[in-house]
Amino acid sequence: MSRVIGIDLGTTNSCVAVIENGQSTVIPNAGGYRTTPSMFAISHDGKRLVGHLAKRQAITNARNTIFGSKRLIGRRFDAEEVRQAVEFCPYEIVRGANDDPRINIAGKTFTCPEIAGIILREMKRVAEEYVGEPISDAVITVPAYFNDTQRQCTKDAGKIAGLEVLRIINEPTAAAMAYGAGNREEEKVAIYDLGGGTFDISILDMSDGVIEVLATSGNTFLGGEDFDRRIVGHLLERFQETEGIDLSEDPMALQRLKDAGEKAKCDLSEREKTEISLPFIASDDSGPRHLQLEFDRSSLEALVHGLVNQTIKVVESCVQDAGLQPGEVDRVILVGGQTRMPLIQKAVGECFGKGAHKGVNPDEVVAVGAALQGEALVSDDQKLLLLDVTPLSLGIATAGGHFAKLIERNTTVPVRKTHTFTSTRDNQTAVKIRVLQGESDAAAHNDLLGEFVLSGIRKAPKGEPEIEVCFDIDANGIVSASATDLATGKEQSITVNATGTLSQEEIERIIEDQELFEVASKG
Amino acid sequence: MRAGDRTASQQEERVPRLAPDCDPTGLDLTPAQGFLLSRIDGLTPESVLLQLGGLDPDEVRRCLDDWSSEGLVVFGKGGPPSRSAESAPVPVVDEALDRIPTPDPELDLPVKAQEAILEMYERLERPYHELLGVPLDADTRTVKRAYFGLSKEYHPDRYFRRDIGAFQPLLERVFRKIVEAYELMSDPGVRAEMERSLSGEAEAPAGAAGSAPGAAKPRSRPLSPFSSLGRLIAKRRAKAKGFFEAAMVAGGEERWLEATGSLRLAIAFDPANALYRERFGEVQPKAHAIRFEQLMKEADSALSFRDRGDALRLFEEALHFKPYDPEANHTAARLAWLVAEDLRKAKEYALRATEAEPDKGDYRRTLGQIYQAAGFAANARRELKAAVRLNPKDKEARAALKSL
Repeated sequence: MSRVIGIDLGTTNSCVAVIENGQSTVIPNAGGYRTTPSMFAISHDGKRLVGHLAKRQAITNARNTIFGSKRLIGRRFDAEEVRQAVEFCPYEIVRGANDDPRINIAGKTFTCPEIAGIILREMKRVAEEYVGEPISDAVITVPAYFNDTQRQCTKDAGKIAGLEVLRIINEPTAAAMAYGAGNREEEKVAIYDLGGGTFDISILDMSDGVIEVLATSGNTFLGGEDFDRRIVGHLLERFQETEGIDLSEDPMALQRLKDAGEKAKCDLSEREKTEISLPFIASDDSGPRHLQLEFDRSSLEALVHGLVNQTIKVVESCVQDAGLQPGEVDRVILVGGQTRMPLIQKAVGECFGKGAHKGVNPDEVVAVGAALQGEALVSDDQKLLLLDVTPLSLGIATAGGHFAKLIERNTTVPVRKTHTFTSTRDNQTAVKIRVLQGESDAAAHNDLLGEFVLSGIRKAPKGEPEIEVCFDIDANGIVSASATDLATGKEQSITVNATGTLSQEEIERIIEDQELFEVASKG
Repeated sequence: MRAGDRTASQQEERVPRLAPDCDPTGLDLTPAQGFLLSRIDGLTPESVLLQLGGLDPDEVRRCLDDWSSEGLVVFGKGGPPSRSAESAPVPVVDEALDRIPTPDPELDLPVKAQEAILEMYERLERPYHELLGVPLDADTRTVKRAYFGLSKEYHPDRYFRRDIGAFQPLLERVFRKIVEAYELMSDPGVRAEMERSLSGEAEAPAGAAGSAPGAAKPRSRPLSPFSSLGRLIAKRRAKAKGFFEAAMVAGGEERWLEATGSLRLAIAFDPANALYRERFGEVQPKAHAIRFEQLMKEADSALSFRDRGDALRLFEEALHFKPYDPEANHTAARLAWLVAEDLRKAKEYALRATEAEPDKGDYRRTLGQIYQAAGFAANARRELKAAVRLNPKDKEARAALKSL
């Protein structure tokens, strides 16, 4: 039996793990690193670079180096998050054919699933080199708060990478799996997962190998990158103050500031003070200018205090959703590199009234959990079972722009609900249904997943036809729908105009492109 | 999101039942055959009969075939649909699973597991605590343990990527029901209601004991009122109430189709509400009657346009809502015989018509003619004679009888 890998496809770094003889192993890449930067670049001489190779040349080739594309995946181009990214990213983000954001580098346009696919392919390659045999089955993780479109795009990315995606699972849940795998006792666990780009909180109940998610919440646009941006903003201000030069339009300088800011942030998790030194960051008539300053933990904390508070608010409401008091949580687990920050450990500790569990590696635990879930799915022993929930309410737009929820958030998946539609005019033969995900009562404030046209309705006076539409959320958190005419029992054809996802043809074309490239790079 | 493809693979299975007016006492049967005959109730499919002790499957098959050719036994399409149409029980809201598979050693699923799934499936409409296998007053921890245990056994992931055939939808349904039972059993409001209604049924005085201070039995630990489930269920109930009210308004204006649809939704959001189910039971037949009438009208108009194939289809659809309507069965029988030339089907419809109204000469004649066409001379003679007796002026019946 071929092996299943678990891939943590992160905003900043990705990680791959496999189960060997019942033991989980995080697979190091060729450079010996256990995580790989989620970066993709086309070099000046037209070479495609992934991971550390891409990162190494990012400063000199900022315009053609993609990082953090997970923040864009599955979003609409007009979304606020994309607008922010357009403003801040050194690479060019353009509107795609499906109103999705796409990225232009070296004169070529890439969709977000394509970029994710390139990174996944790299992780697959790393794993294949390690185990010495081809691998096709994978479990890929996504932030728990990802919506249907974002999950669908991630699944498509897996397909583009040549992977059979057994399951898309939530990052905090994966972490819980890794933690709970060998754990028989009954426990209520909180997973606080602050990664490079996203924040998730999940409250779980586990005993004897069953892991039940009680509630989950998060923010898919809040992560370590936002911390870095605050630091970069601070550095830009300081440089402007002292040197009178605005660096915010200089992509190369921005990239150096970002790297330095990130490094300083990490340093300050260990000590109280650090130095940022960026010689020759700019020059003007009077010669070269250097950025040189001291940065201490308390000024960092002052910068990001608001971000940390945002996460704590989400934690509090999630605990309430789970029907618990913070003190009833037995164990708190921190996941994601950003949780190394002492301020976060302190805030989370205060919130739950207990310190965080130290036994897991915040960078690797998600990939390990994904591999364990893959193993649990394909093996016969039922040592581990995951009962996850849908993070967002699913519903339809109704007259007057309201949102009617059909499946509430935190409902255990897989789940199926039906809703009966009827016509509003005599002899109406088609009905348009807009399917949304979110918590707002106003349809416009939620994410549009797709529009259905129910056609072929029997001609009848208004209100008489009964079309039953069946909404499914599968174990991946992916939504699908089918419809039946109740009077005749006939299945109705459904046309879905999904927003933001790629069509089957587009995916196949990309796969072909990729394969051509594979051949070219070898030859 | 993508459009789902739901294709329920349904292989036809024979469900034998005894022909009306047949008298097996004259037959020469062994005790084992007699036992088999006694098990034929119109609901038990052939595959289940095959597994009865005492007879080997080949013999069962041979008996059924023989009895069928003798007109003693007729084959229907499956028990559950007609049963549900007759008694209008609890509606299955999430899907219609009208075909229950039988254990199949070919599947990538141990027969033991298949049996366990079937057994669980049979019990889906039992009260929630029975489904979970816990006492009615089990505390939340016991309920959760039971839920975890059952999930390990019945979660679809247990048979991930295996070909478990028709057991897949069953398993999914069982798991959904287990989740529902767990969620509702964890809700103090629902629990109180369940305990009230069930104790009222089982042991009436038990409820009174609760009112005596000190005599109260140990209660389950109530969930926090801030529990997400509590709120979720309150929300769902409110939603159900909205649909229920809409249904009552629609019902008041005799818009039965709409009323049925709304009640179906109300039950989906509040499955434990007995009132909704009761009303549904009242309203659904009316909606069915309306659809039946509509389809009959369409069928008649198809007939008047000589579009007999379409008419047959419409009659069959109409029969879906009123399976034992004699006139619709009679017309469908004639169309199936004369247009579709499907004698088995024709015989089935004609039998239903005569079953409903044994004293209608026309129906008996049609059945007789169909038997005649199928080569069952004895049965044909019996029916045609009855037709002539009931309606001495029926020339067609006389002619047919003569030709025999």
